[in-house]
Amino acid sequence: MRIKTLGIIIFVSFLFIIIGLFYIQIVRGTLYQKLSTQNRIRLLSIESPRGRIFDTNGELLVDNRISFDVAIIPQELKHKDEILKDLSGILDVSQEDLRKSLKRNFVTPFQPVKILSDIGKKKAIILEEERLDLPGVFIETSPRRHYIYKDAGSHIFGYLGQINRGELTRLKDYGYRMNDLIGKSGIEKHYNNYLKGTRGGMQIEVNNMGYQVGFLGIREPVKGKDLYLTIDIRLQSFIEEIFKGARGAVCVMDPRNGRILSLVSTPSFDPNLFIEDAGSGKISSLFVRKDYPMLNRAAHCTYPPGSVFKVVTAAAALERGGVTARTTLTCNGSYALGNKVFRCWKKKGHGEQSMRDAIKNSCNVYFYQAGSMAGVENLANYSSRFGFGRPTGIDLSNEASGLVPNKMWKALKKRESWYKGETLNYSIGQGYLLVTPLQIVRAISAIANGGYLVKPYLVKRIEDVDISQIEKRPVNISKETIEIIKEGLVKVVNDSNGTGRNAVVSGLKVAGKTGTAQTSTDKTHAWFTGFAPADDPKAAVVIFLEYGGKGGLAASKTAGDIFGKLKELNYF
Amino acid sequence: MKAKLHRDFDRVLFIVTLVIFAIGLSSIYSATHTEGSGLLGGLVLKQILWMCAGLVILFLILNIDYQRFIDWAYILFGLNCLLLVMVLFFGRARFGAQRWFSIGGFGFQPSEFIKITYILALSSYLGTRAKFSYRITDLFVPFLITMPPLVLIYLQPDLGTALVLMPILFFMLFARGARIRHLLTIISIGLLSTPFIWHMLKEYQKLRLSVFINPNADPLGAGYTMIQSRIAIGSGFVLGKGWLSGTQNQLNFLPERHTDFIFSVIGEEGGFIGCLILIGLFSVLLYRGLKIAGATADTYGRSMAVGIIAMLAFQIIVNLGMAAGFMPVVGLPLPLMSYGGSSLITTMISIGLLLNIGMRRPRF
Repeated sequence: MRIKTLGIIIFVSFLFIIIGLFYIQIVRGTLYQKLSTQNRIRLLSIESPRGRIFDTNGELLVDNRISFDVAIIPQELKHKDEILKDLSGILDVSQEDLRKSLKRNFVTPFQPVKILSDIGKKKAIILEEERLDLPGVFIETSPRRHYIYKDAGSHIFGYLGQINRGELTRLKDYGYRMNDLIGKSGIEKHYNNYLKGTRGGMQIEVNNMGYQVGFLGIREPVKGKDLYLTIDIRLQSFIEEIFKGARGAVCVMDPRNGRILSLVSTPSFDPNLFIEDAGSGKISSLFVRKDYPMLNRAAHCTYPPGSVFKVVTAAAALERGGVTARTTLTCNGSYALGNKVFRCWKKKGHGEQSMRDAIKNSCNVYFYQAGSMAGVENLANYSSRFGFGRPTGIDLSNEASGLVPNKMWKALKKRESWYKGETLNYSIGQGYLLVTPLQIVRAISAIANGGYLVKPYLVKRIEDVDISQIEKRPVNISKETIEIIKEGLVKVVNDSNGTGRNAVVSGLKVAGKTGTAQTSTDKTHAWFTGFAPADDPKAAVVIFLEYGGKGGLAASKTAGDIFGKLKELNYF
Repeated sequence: MKAKLHRDFDRVLFIVTLVIFAIGLSSIYSATHTEGSGLLGGLVLKQILWMCAGLVILFLILNIDYQRFIDWAYILFGLNCLLLVMVLFFGRARFGAQRWFSIGGFGFQPSEFIKITYILALSSYLGTRAKFSYRITDLFVPFLITMPPLVLIYLQPDLGTALVLMPILFFMLFARGARIRHLLTIISIGLLSTPFIWHMLKEYQKLRLSVFINPNADPLGAGYTMIQSRIAIGSGFVLGKGWLSGTQNQLNFLPERHTDFIFSVIGEEGGFIGCLILIGLFSVLLYRGLKIAGATADTYGRSMAVGIIAMLAFQIIVNLGMAAGFMPVVGLPLPLMSYGGSSLITTMISIGLLLNIGMRRPRF
């Protein structure tokens, strides 16, 4: 009897174990199957090289080079101190730094730790030769962004940086991951999705120590798409060279279709720094420097246009102010409005002059009168027609809009009515009006091409797909008006007493307009914008020099040099 | 006489024993073949040799009337206790515990054999008195017998083996007719002294017990074995991953998988069905043992059979429960399955004794 009881106790215990096994093997079996798979399968990602960037002639501008990185498997690092000492000797890096790097990047004993990146081919070869004496140390290679022309074109390309929290949340669903490099500005940012490619992966089977024991599969990485720019690197480098040391922006554009041949903003930066010295002080100093090298002054910053705006005033006056080509207005050197006196830049005045001569002379008094005749609303209207006050739509992110003021704007923003004196300032491109150099080159292109706004663009082709969609929007200005202004612009450069005389190029008919914009300081911004050849324009330029003095001097000179270079490169 | 012995030899019990051993052998092979020792190399061959020794001993035991063992019970028990004392001084340390003698390259663990000699000693006492007086004072001597091996094994320290002595004692007393009231009283006293016992446990034993309550508290340390073992068994699902194909086993995620955690290999590679078959085989084994105990009129023989069944059942239940994560990791081998000579020989001796009792029982 008692033995039977013992039997029951034993078999009930067995029953409990069977129930338990049923629970973990059948009920929760799938969970444990998943866990056991996770145990043994590791996914190693393989970086995809970013797409390369070429200039308009197929010249390679940005590519990927191989970086040799030193990695350590901590578990295999038997004589840590000796090996670090040897490494320090070969790599010319202090033992302390190596030790710190190893500690900082340590994950698990069997996961390789990258302790030093991009040691260069020479050191990599030396290290490879010494490898037998350095157990646990090995060389890894990875693709690295390489900006061949360093500073040149940096504002076009932008730079790469590690994805931040916000970007990651936004882009997680598109396959972005922690520590990914992502374009932070310029083309690298705007075309990041095309450039980045698709990361590959390798599935391996590992044992309990994390050592690879089997190979399950590989998905090859897909290289990012190559981009072909509208930029001509020969011109770009030339401009960067002559513009070195200046602060400002230059843009050269084909006025017929919006292709940007060059886009320069200075001071610039070397985007390679963001790859090579990520996290170093060199980079953060770029962001705090007083001359703001990270700013793309051509597209991201707005300035008063000064006299280059007179082109717009002229159009408004000719079409809405009752001014004709033959209308003459007199300049005595100043213009009185109520008890206030508005001066021309030329103290003794320009005398009686027509529209063409007023443009040539850049006469303030003439344009005070012409602008007043058109009125503030027409000035604002024509500004908008020429594309001011909104982004040009260039394929760069964060483009600035600028500001086109009118009565309504002032009433809403400043809660004040419009003063007549403000119309006078408006007429010569001063006051509240703010523009980007890119907007200026587009506006002058509308004169050059006979009356339409183009959309500037930098990328013409993604691999084999042509993406240059030429967008033309009519400005709705009569041919006559454009002709009159154009003739004035030709005189600016070509007449012996033209304000833009410095831009003259022998054997080339250049048209242009200078500008000298007042600022809150006593230094002025210098502008020049123009196009050539005047009769069949193939290139439009804008030169902007922040606190660069008078537009008729350095800015015009630079424009002349650029047109000369364009001629040399057979653009005309 | 010979004919009767032959007729009463429990063939089912013997065959089931061999089948379980064979399953164990295949699992040991699966658990160790990656170390590159070949089918008959290394541990598998060693285990077969142990089994041969075990079978020889089993047949030797069959040829001696089990009553002779009762006669020698106290002496064998005394000698065994002496060995336990010696192992504390001269034994080899392995896994932090001093349990081993080394004889000609084979490890030898006296604490395994104490289970048998202890059963013999208890049977000798419980069987002698034709009439058990059912007084609580009669329980004094069995506890006195229990103390020396318990203390000596604890000092090694080998918590698992020390624990086995308890069910043996209680099952034997219960089967002998001790009052349930008395047994319950003693068990309550035992439970009340738990905090005191906890205090006496070694640090790693405490860790194992606390990890049992929450294995994730230390997933890479003490909880690792438990988590990995449960993953292995759970991932076996219904039919298992197939022999030699359990990833937890083959890729070394399971520690001690050829010894204490051999059941995890079965669970992973054989699945739920494999586990059921194995538990079924163990059930048959124990059932046959219980039948022998029940059919024996001799109090010595019955006590001995009950003790052996208690020992085997406890080890099976605790080992299975521990592998599946229902019980703390106490380090008990699975009889006939786990790699290890002393354990295998002890099991073979106990099965020999069971068969012996079955063959020579005085009939009602």
